[in-house]
Amino acid sequence: MSYLRSKSPRAREKRLDALSAWQGSADAVARELSGEEVVQRIRTFSQSSNDDLVMALRLLAGIAGSVVVVHAPRGCAAAGLNHRIEQGDGRWIVTNLDERDTIMGADRKLRMAVTDAVRRYRPEVVFVLSGPVAAINNDDVQSVALELEDELGVKVVPVFTTGFVSRNAVTGFDIAQHALMKHLGSLVHGHSEGNVVNLLSLGEHQADRMEAVRLLGLLGVEVNVLPDGASAENFRRAAGARLSISLDHDTTGYLAEILREEYGVPHLEVPRPVGEGAAGQWLISAGKALGREAEALRAHEEESRKAIDAFGSFSLKGLRIYLSLSPAKAAALSGFVEDHGGEVAGITVTYLDRLHRPYLDTLARRNPQLKVHVADGQPFEELNIVNRIGPDLYIGDSAHIAQVARLGYPVVSTERLPSLGYRGLALLAVRIGAALKNRTFFDALAFAGTPYREAWYRRSPHWHIKKEVK
Amino acid sequence: MSQHIAETRNSCALHGALQLIDAIRGVVPVIHSNAGCGMQHFLGINRQGNNSGPYGSPPVSSSNISEKHVVFGGSSRLREQLKNTVKVVDGELYFIVTGCSTEMVGDDIPAMAKEGREQSFPVIYANTPGFRGDVHHGYQLALKALVEQLPGLEGEKRSKKERRVNVFGILPGQDPFWRGNLEELGRLLEGIGLEVNLLPGEELGVEAWRRVPEASLNIAVSAWGEPAAKLLDERYGTPSLFLEALPVGHAAGNLLRSLAELFRLDAEKSDRFIAAEDTRLRRRLAELSDLYFQAGLQQSFALVGESAAVAGIAEFLTGTLGLLPGLLAVTDPLPEDTSETLMQSLSGYQDEFGAQVVFSEDSARIADAIIESKAGIVLGSEFERPAAEELDAVFLPVSFPLGRKVVIERGYAGYRGASAFLEDLFSARLSGKT
Repeated sequence: MSYLRSKSPRAREKRLDALSAWQGSADAVARELSGEEVVQRIRTFSQSSNDDLVMALRLLAGIAGSVVVVHAPRGCAAAGLNHRIEQGDGRWIVTNLDERDTIMGADRKLRMAVTDAVRRYRPEVVFVLSGPVAAINNDDVQSVALELEDELGVKVVPVFTTGFVSRNAVTGFDIAQHALMKHLGSLVHGHSEGNVVNLLSLGEHQADRMEAVRLLGLLGVEVNVLPDGASAENFRRAAGARLSISLDHDTTGYLAEILREEYGVPHLEVPRPVGEGAAGQWLISAGKALGREAEALRAHEEESRKAIDAFGSFSLKGLRIYLSLSPAKAAALSGFVEDHGGEVAGITVTYLDRLHRPYLDTLARRNPQLKVHVADGQPFEELNIVNRIGPDLYIGDSAHIAQVARLGYPVVSTERLPSLGYRGLALLAVRIGAALKNRTFFDALAFAGTPYREAWYRRSPHWHIKKEVK
Repeated sequence: MSQHIAETRNSCALHGALQLIDAIRGVVPVIHSNAGCGMQHFLGINRQGNNSGPYGSPPVSSSNISEKHVVFGGSSRLREQLKNTVKVVDGELYFIVTGCSTEMVGDDIPAMAKEGREQSFPVIYANTPGFRGDVHHGYQLALKALVEQLPGLEGEKRSKKERRVNVFGILPGQDPFWRGNLEELGRLLEGIGLEVNLLPGEELGVEAWRRVPEASLNIAVSAWGEPAAKLLDERYGTPSLFLEALPVGHAAGNLLRSLAELFRLDAEKSDRFIAAEDTRLRRRLAELSDLYFQAGLQQSFALVGESAAVAGIAEFLTGTLGLLPGLLAVTDPLPEDTSETLMQSLSGYQDEFGAQVVFSEDSARIADAIIESKAGIVLGSEFERPAAEELDAVFLPVSFPLGRKVVIERGYAGYRGASAFLEDLFSARLSGKT
């Protein structure tokens, strides 16, 4: 079966039974995702969260030599401003659909926008990212893209996001990766000799990417990084690599799967290399797979020594810590918390799917009663849970962390914090130390109060999660 | 017909409505749309204003419709969301705003709002799909909904107060200095003896909007306040004063003098107040003069921003500071008749100084115009920074998105605003070229 024959991949909830709403014990969720049928849950009250369009835009903003044409009304490109200003790249044009376009269709407008994008920026590739209006209208983006590709002599890649096709925003990463490989991937299938390793990195801090490249460099291989900062050439080269290694299986798992199934590039499944233990496992596994075990072990020894010096006497002993992150990041930080003597008091993860079974089994074995909450951007539930648990520290990377902080507990954000590699968590340790040492700012925030009624805090946090009736 | 835009700074109508709602304490937006609409607002507007919004998160209520609702309609989902929002989120007024999908599907929003009111929820609504207009249009839609629908929720009738003035038309966030600008205008109006109702009202919250009918005059700052001013004239017979330009520095004195005359205020008292403000600003200018000469500040400038800010700042830079206008770029998409009137007011800069005047929200086109202007000082948004760097010009962020500048209470309007502006401009000059 060819992965890439279809226009777009199926939504995560259909492909991998991904859950976007859940609350219960680690034990129960592990069982649910190992069972025959996973019953989807929906919310009867919800709050804004990421969607496939936002995630695809984030990914595509990082592709070198590209322009994104957002085929939608203006607001669908708003996040582009964020990516442009934060990453300094990601040029975009919005087709700026108006009321008339919602009735008549807007193929002509799309043609003009793409043509203008090519004229202005001379890109190597133009992505056409569809929003809900184009999706509902069923604009024929594919034909326009094909025609313009011929006419302009530039790759024009349609990316079929909709904003409503999936309850799991991570589907947007899948959709974008599918489009990238379908249109930019090599036409030659089959394994080739060479010394190239694919480093699959999406939305990682630049320092983290560089650290991973450095570590793989110690093994004497040539590193091909994608999709972060990649150009069309990196996607072509990816097919001939010896091996793919992910930094975060949640974000790039689908890309790894395509490379394996379509091009025969094996994928090394190792946890996120955060902290000394996991980084060592990551490096040594790569060394073994590449026939460079001796180099890997030597490097590991050296790096470990430096890491121990970097942490000094850092300890989380006696502290109950709440984590709110994507699943792979939560898994990585759980290890860090426990390695330093802390206790994970509960976790919120953005979603969970069948691929997380090994992780959930480990969680359930260690602490079957651990509270697990699945939610992307539903702070009303999170605040209720955190308020009940009363942790000593909260660590997260969401857009609502400033709201959680209004409960008054010490909060640390990892959103823009580099964390990968042996010494990656040294910076986090410094932030944690500061948050625990002086809490006045959290007290000040608590004064602002949370947005919710008192009655909500008396309700069960999972009050608004119901089984979906089909 | 609308056209595609490269790197626009003007988001959609839904986001404009949210900007106004977020600035009124006690009003809870209920978004009926895709999950991502609120997130785009947070990433594209809140974060670009270095501001985490009233609740430190993306919007707190959103129906997050899925494929099912696109196919079968989403009204029942909105009914459920509204009912539960009232139970979960603390608020005084719930404001339904819509996105493109639910409008295309044809969900009946007025009916849902009415249903809510029948259950005695304080609910109003505005249809704000992004395909209907930009962020300014969304601000107007929300403003109109508040003016039209709020009185229906209230029992008591409000009577007029002789010296009360409403001030609106400044878009929260889209004008990064909105809070400071409003506060300074309020301070000055009070200084000559008027009572002010500054909208969005912030801490006063919904009460500020209840007071709207009490005013004897509406001051609409920027073209974006005009439709609401006309509406208030129709409903309450309140006359309006339109300010095309934000009054910066001595221009504020002219405004105060005309208001004093209009309201027949104690002329001696208001003249004394204005004179004191004028004198203070002149002294500050004199204190800066050594630096002005050393730094060779008398250069040509390129100014990019919203119409009212561009007109106001250009006046101060040219009319008080003696700088030379090279380029004025207006980035809010004004209605045609308004842009013609503004063009006439700005034509003096063309005739006398050979300045170029551009109406565009296309960042690439604006960047080209800046380069062409060869300006020594560039004032604009983060989008204009690269062009300033290319010219090796002094760069001062004055419009959305500010990028590397954080503003919480600073403003450029009035006399104190003029001082703040001078501080920022001279600091930008001293802290290196860009």
